[in-house]
Amino acid sequence: MLGQAPPPVATTERPWGTWAQAASLLRAQRMTKRDRGKAGRPGPPVRTVALPRGEQRDRGSRGHGQPPPRGDLPCSFRGHRTLPLPPPPTPPLSGPLPAGLSQWFPALEVLDVSGTGLTEMGTELLSLPCLHTLLAKNNRLGGPGSLPKGLGQAPLARSLRVLNLSGNRFSEVPPALLQLRGLRSLSLGGNRLQGIPPDIQELHSLEFLYLGGNFITAIPPELAKLPSLRYLVLCDNKIQSIPPQLAQLHSLRSLSLHNNLLTYLPREILNLVHLDELSLRGNPLVVRFVRDLTYNPPSLQELAGRTVKTRNIPYTPSDLPEGLVRYLSLASNCPNPKCGGVYFDSCVRQIKFVDFCGKYRLPLMHYLCSPECSSPFSSASQSSTSQSESDSEDEASVAAHRMQKVLLG
Amino acid sequence: MEQPVQTETWKARSLEELIRILHQIFAEDKVSVEEVQALMESYESNPEEWLQYAKFDQYRYTRNLVDNGNGKFNLMILCWGEGHGSSIHDHTDSHCFMKILQGNLKETLFEWPEKKGNGEMTKKSERVLRENQCAYINDSIGLHRVENISHTEPAVSLHLYSPPFNSCNTFDQRTGHKHKVTMTFYSQFGERTVCATGAPQENN
Repeated sequence: MLGQAPPPVATTERPWGTWAQAASLLRAQRMTKRDRGKAGRPGPPVRTVALPRGEQRDRGSRGHGQPPPRGDLPCSFRGHRTLPLPPPPTPPLSGPLPAGLSQWFPALEVLDVSGTGLTEMGTELLSLPCLHTLLAKNNRLGGPGSLPKGLGQAPLARSLRVLNLSGNRFSEVPPALLQLRGLRSLSLGGNRLQGIPPDIQELHSLEFLYLGGNFITAIPPELAKLPSLRYLVLCDNKIQSIPPQLAQLHSLRSLSLHNNLLTYLPREILNLVHLDELSLRGNPLVVRFVRDLTYNPPSLQELAGRTVKTRNIPYTPSDLPEGLVRYLSLASNCPNPKCGGVYFDSCVRQIKFVDFCGKYRLPLMHYLCSPECSSPFSSASQSSTSQSESDSEDEASVAAHRMQKVLLG
Repeated sequence: MEQPVQTETWKARSLEELIRILHQIFAEDKVSVEEVQALMESYESNPEEWLQYAKFDQYRYTRNLVDNGNGKFNLMILCWGEGHGSSIHDHTDSHCFMKILQGNLKETLFEWPEKKGNGEMTKKSERVLRENQCAYINDSIGLHRVENISHTEPAVSLHLYSPPFNSCNTFDQRTGHKHKVTMTFYSQFGERTVCATGAPQENN
């Protein structure tokens, strides 16, 4: 989970001390770990004191920020790749990561500063040359300046793979975060997020995205542009609908939607062929047929977009403003197999129930590009749609059979 | 397991000792539910003792067999990532003990659905179990759903099932419809077991 096995470990109480004391404690812990390894059993992950918090509290007198001269550093210390920081004594301490961190631990790959009361990461983060995992959960991050400026140019932007900021106070995804192009796993669970920025698509290597336990009301279709996304958690939010474009997440294996405000799902969800897990409980899914005949006529932009797509009018990114290029890429195909049309925002909405052998009826929202494509359920045409109706029923039943194994009730 | 025979106050000082005492208890013809529950609660979780069994999966909770109790019981460790939960399930006429080793788990109890159940299932109660607490359930008590509702902390629990079983029913909360599923182990005795499964199985 979260791209790595988490270390479930009891907390250990250790006295605070100087750099040298911390180093000797680390050495002792590493020796114990090695001994356990000889017995054939994995030792507990390193979770002891590393950096002294006491020095942070009293910067002036103890000369915080002044690491001892290089000569004092034990060689094994310099090579240390994993560094957890223990929770501070109460009251919690704030302030950035201590200065000199990258000098003391130049080979640092894993940094765990969870539960240390951090309010800002600080600029020391920018100097770490090969950090691939940063765990900073249960802190007080979230205000402006939580992440240092210049993150996009730091080595971190390319090296960081795993970032855990769960249990903090972010009310929006910090823009600086989106510069971490190498990120594979991101958790912002248990924060105060109201939405997801469309620029989330910048994190094109993302495989694991945990956004459970926030106040998210809507999902931007741009989220579907993450080609490697395998695990998407959106549970415990305030989401009212899922954009049909989400079905473009071809790599998706697990989708967590429980405890939201969904009344239906887009029919396209049946297209997620690799989906193994789907949680839907705790949503007010409609159980009775709902007739929705409201139809907002398409805008001029929509009509133009439809024409470009259906007539295959060629265009390159240099022909159009970036916003329109993006708009055109979000076209959805009308699910009516008799219609080759596309739609963007304007469509007829109709809920149909897909039945999984009488065990579970899933309300799927069909978006049809125009009233002419509607099924006989609507007051529109009757004749030509009967064939299309049965076609779409067939494909729905195949997908439903697959989906039956996924739904966990 | 019928009437309690004698309720001794056990204190398991380690996981190994817990297992040893369980073997002792289950060697008898009659086993007391209260005795087992008190024994499980008495063990103070020490991660060093069970870390080798605690194998997490990205996508769902895992079942990791620790001991197969000479056929009398199964002792296993379940690992729940953030947000991981089970469906509503029964216990195939067996006894189920669940002790929290780390983190917290929410248990929601449900009534059995009506025979012709076609409505929302009735929630009986819910509670959050804390570290070292041990809950007990069997089919006569009802059905339950277990979930790690934390978005920041993984959870680990120790389960004892007697007699052992490898299939159960899951229930759809909205309709009460049930569906039989087979359960698998993510690891056994600390070794990852890779099953060749085509369809995803309910990891109950």
